[in-house]
Amino acid sequence: MSSKQGGKGGAAAGKAKKPAKAGTDEKREDVLQAVILADSFQDRFKPFTLETPRCLLPLVNVPVIEYTLEFLASNGVQEVFIYCGAHSESIEQYIRESLRWSPGSILSPFSSLEFIRVSDAHSIGDFLRDLDKRAIIAGDFILVHGDLVANIQLDAALAKHRARREANRDACMTMVLRSVGEQPHRAARARGITPVFVVDPTTGRCLQYEETHPLQSEHHLVLDPAVFSHGEFEIRSDLIDCGIDICTPDILALWSESFDYELPRKNFLHGVLKDWELNGKMLFTEILDDGYAARASNLQMYDCISKDVLERWTLPFVPDSNLVHGQTYRRIKGGSYAEDHVVIERGAKVTQSALGRGTTVQTGSVVSRSVIGKRCKIGKNVRIENSYIWDDAVVGDGTSIFHSIVAGSVVVGANCRIPEGSLISFNVHLDNGIQLPSKPPARISLLSDEQQRAETDVSLVGKGGKGALYQVVTEEEESDDEDGVKRDPAILQSSLIYSLEGLNLSTSSISTLASEDGYGSDDEISTAASLQGSDFGQTRDRLSSFASDDASKPDSFHADAVSGLVDALRADDDDFDSAKLEFMGLRLANNASDSAMRRAIAVAFVRRAAELLTPPHGALEPTRAAERALAAKAGAVKFIREVGVGGDSVAQQADFALAVQKALLAVKDLEPARAGTLLAALLQQLYSLDVLEEDGILAWWADERAAEGEGMNKLREKCRVLVEWLENADEEESSEEEEEEDDDDEDEEDDD
Amino acid sequence: MAPSQATHVPNLDNLIKSLNSLPLEASIESLIFLLKRRQVTGDECAKATAHVLRQVVAKSKWNDVDQLLSRVQSAGSRLARAAPLEPVIGNIVRRVLGLIRDEASEDRNVDDLASEAASDIQSLAPSAPSPQKAAPAPVRPPPTVVSTGLQVSKSMFNLLSVAETGDTPVTGASTPLSQAQTASVHALRSEVMDGIEEILDEINQADDQIAGFADIQIHPGDYVLAYQPSRTVERFLVKAASKRRFTVIIAGLESRNHDAITEPPYAALRKRLNAAGVNTINLASNGLMAYIPRVNKVIFGAKAVYQNGGLLVDSGCCIAAQAAHEYLKPVIVLCPVYKFCPEDPSDEVSRGELGNPSSYVSYADGPEVDALEVENTVTDYIPPELVDVYLTNLGPQTQHHLASILADHYKTEDITLGLALQLGEP
Repeated sequence: MSSKQGGKGGAAAGKAKKPAKAGTDEKREDVLQAVILADSFQDRFKPFTLETPRCLLPLVNVPVIEYTLEFLASNGVQEVFIYCGAHSESIEQYIRESLRWSPGSILSPFSSLEFIRVSDAHSIGDFLRDLDKRAIIAGDFILVHGDLVANIQLDAALAKHRARREANRDACMTMVLRSVGEQPHRAARARGITPVFVVDPTTGRCLQYEETHPLQSEHHLVLDPAVFSHGEFEIRSDLIDCGIDICTPDILALWSESFDYELPRKNFLHGVLKDWELNGKMLFTEILDDGYAARASNLQMYDCISKDVLERWTLPFVPDSNLVHGQTYRRIKGGSYAEDHVVIERGAKVTQSALGRGTTVQTGSVVSRSVIGKRCKIGKNVRIENSYIWDDAVVGDGTSIFHSIVAGSVVVGANCRIPEGSLISFNVHLDNGIQLPSKPPARISLLSDEQQRAETDVSLVGKGGKGALYQVVTEEEESDDEDGVKRDPAILQSSLIYSLEGLNLSTSSISTLASEDGYGSDDEISTAASLQGSDFGQTRDRLSSFASDDASKPDSFHADAVSGLVDALRADDDDFDSAKLEFMGLRLANNASDSAMRRAIAVAFVRRAAELLTPPHGALEPTRAAERALAAKAGAVKFIREVGVGGDSVAQQADFALAVQKALLAVKDLEPARAGTLLAALLQQLYSLDVLEEDGILAWWADERAAEGEGMNKLREKCRVLVEWLENADEEESSEEEEEEDDDDEDEEDDD
Repeated sequence: MAPSQATHVPNLDNLIKSLNSLPLEASIESLIFLLKRRQVTGDECAKATAHVLRQVVAKSKWNDVDQLLSRVQSAGSRLARAAPLEPVIGNIVRRVLGLIRDEASEDRNVDDLASEAASDIQSLAPSAPSPQKAAPAPVRPPPTVVSTGLQVSKSMFNLLSVAETGDTPVTGASTPLSQAQTASVHALRSEVMDGIEEILDEINQADDQIAGFADIQIHPGDYVLAYQPSRTVERFLVKAASKRRFTVIIAGLESRNHDAITEPPYAALRKRLNAAGVNTINLASNGLMAYIPRVNKVIFGAKAVYQNGGLLVDSGCCIAAQAAHEYLKPVIVLCPVYKFCPEDPSDEVSRGELGNPSSYVSYADGPEVDALEVENTVTDYIPPELVDVYLTNLGPQTQHHLASILADHYKTEDITLGLALQLGEP
């Protein structure tokens, strides 16, 4: 009532001002809008997220989304759209019931707050494409994730973004990144996947984006040659990507154009930068050296951010600011925070921790660097270190908990031991005297992955306990919300404690899984694998399964590309253009390197040529087979010249010849002598088709890689005649001579 | 263009601008969150509190003095609780409460005058007492006619809306008695709002008034150590520089660990002082002690002065005060009267507020972040024995006169606001 009346009074008083204010509003680009992505389509927080969405998990006793909303409010955002995925009801309910945020409340700092549900969304990409369709975004907007904790002011970044956009319409996104220096940092350690930004230091323009992680086999990145044309650039892997993007609506159109992009960084950013020449869009970075910004994107980040909050790096988002309604934190001795009605008995020691309202810590207990929620009961002589205990948990006397998360309403009996890295989900009961395993750390939940109640595992939680071991979903069962390459590092991110120790042991099993599962007995792939192996060196050549552990990216490209090309070559019609198009598409999708393309093309043509030698396909002579394979289809030669060789330089031609040689070596059911003849025929044919030049073939001949190993050398020897002829040949050599050579080849083959 | 773009971030100016259009509850709440997020700090708190309390008086619903008092009290205590280490908020609330009590008792004495007020509000304006300095009522220069006129129109509107909402069973047209009552409410409202306007004026003028005493405090040839000069101190020094030749040693430079690419600290101040012919020396914090024997007096500003004479100051001042005390150099604290707090320092005050460790350790420095426990206290408490002169806008005072200043400005009933803080609000 009073507010209503006040509103009237205010309206009258402010009458004169209002029109003027609206005018200035328009001038400064309407209102600031923000979009919160409240679902990340990941399961790094399982088993906790089986029941509660990630953005409602308590971080220092405050649901994570509160930090995000408060961050937006502190930056003067006025309209907020929240995209909810899983558990959308509970997020909506939380916001609606909150005094401060509930839409339409006069207390809300936002003029509007809307929820958007997308029924069939499977990735963040789907959200953003939906956003594009809705056309609710008027101008620049801030895109954040629902797990953001930040205290930075975006003013400067916004102003820069606007200036850039006004100068150039294609400058359509600014990513806000926090630098964490080159030395090891707990926030950087926590991320598993290291983003690598190639940035122009003067303009802040992002030129290339890659991701690396410790489990990949290729410990290098391939720089796009276009990067070098920018003159100065920096390659930075010391950045925390806090997921704050200042976008223009154009960005959404880009999402819509690329319907298969799922992740904003790995797919979208990478893709848009790669296709810069196509779309012409420029993306910028704003690298902060000050302030705090991070995403609680996995349990390790959760751990790290919680510590940062307790240490006040996130000021003003610290417990004793009491930003959430009803909180009454005060600083108490020992660098801790406690709410009202917290009882810390004499003899109990609490250091650098936060205790929620109504929590009791009984005598003799030691709590350090931990967060304990509301209404928890901590018994006598309990030790809690570096742990997170959520609301209503009960910890029995004499129990020790180290670096673990104990979720809400968990009951831990007396004299238990919960070692590092344990995750105990909601409502689990542990009987007295339970010792949880330390390697690997246990994850205990009442629910199984399908939201079903799991059968209580008495051996784990004891007779009086409730709960079972939560099985980490293995790769095969995992829904395909992330593509294959990301699965491996996802393991790094799903545990509370980042450790490579345990994972190195399991690397082999991962790779066998991958090789069994993806590639099976498909002979095309075994070729690919051994080819790739030979690229890496002879030792790995033998271990074909080992070679496939470097994720599936090059291999899947190789396999797809080869089979596509071979099919096109086999086909009766004369249409090679579509195959070419498909190949280029694959190449872009997989970001295949030039050498991978060369290899794939060589393998495809060699396989076709080898096939033609066999009876079912005509049992042609090697020369005829080579000719048929290479020149039967219009455009194929051009394709080899442009894509396979990829240039006029001698080195590229030599590489292609080498690739052909290797491909021949790998072809099964082909005796080495015949293979050698075929190689000579192919090279000669390529020479006569102007794909390879004299110098290129001679360079290949001189290349020692071509003579490595017995098999390779045998093949090479077969080409000696061709090479000698080339060496002696004059420029004006007539086609007659060529005929002769052909005959020679055939003679040789007959000899064999 | 650029400044207008930078206004997305909420700040005090934006808030004050939007106060009239916001519902009352929303404006209280937005100030609370500005305080909690530290987007309004220090001197701004006083101003912001006064503005919001003015809205409380203008917009909230009340029929008699007691209701008004309780409205102001509850809003005020919520504000004060939002920033426990900004005692000025509580001070302003107390001042407003005292103002209301004063006006109410005055109204009762001159009841007939109040009943006439409905017909001619402006006749009240001259009746407002305007004693300066020694008078028990707060300092208030007479309000300008224009502002009074504005107030009237606003309160008239409120008057009507009160009647419309049917808050009291008696409507505006019923009896002459109720008319007199609404009239007195109306008169009181505009009186109190004028009073708050005056408090705002006092806040705005305090710095200048303090600076007026500069030439008395600073003598020619003095070496003055200014520790982390605040805006008040800067104005004071510049004023003194216009009349005296002396040397200023600026100590307590911000200890940022990052290499400061921006201007050297206090460049603007130094430029202005140099222009007036006053030498300045910038002093790194650790050189402070060595310079103390050379210094004639130490000057800094306070965030608050407590009943016992203790000070709440920015961190680092305590060292300067201690050093000066050891060498028997006078310590002069610049502190406007509205910062005098009729309470004793709480536990939290003596422990100091903790700031962001990033002032000392860069978050980018991984090993340090992990290994160090950085407590960056941003406030200090200075015990009264280290302070020699409290230079207020009413003139220099000593510790022994603080009690009378407090008694002049606050009503005993309101001193327990601190107690009300804990009891009020569920």
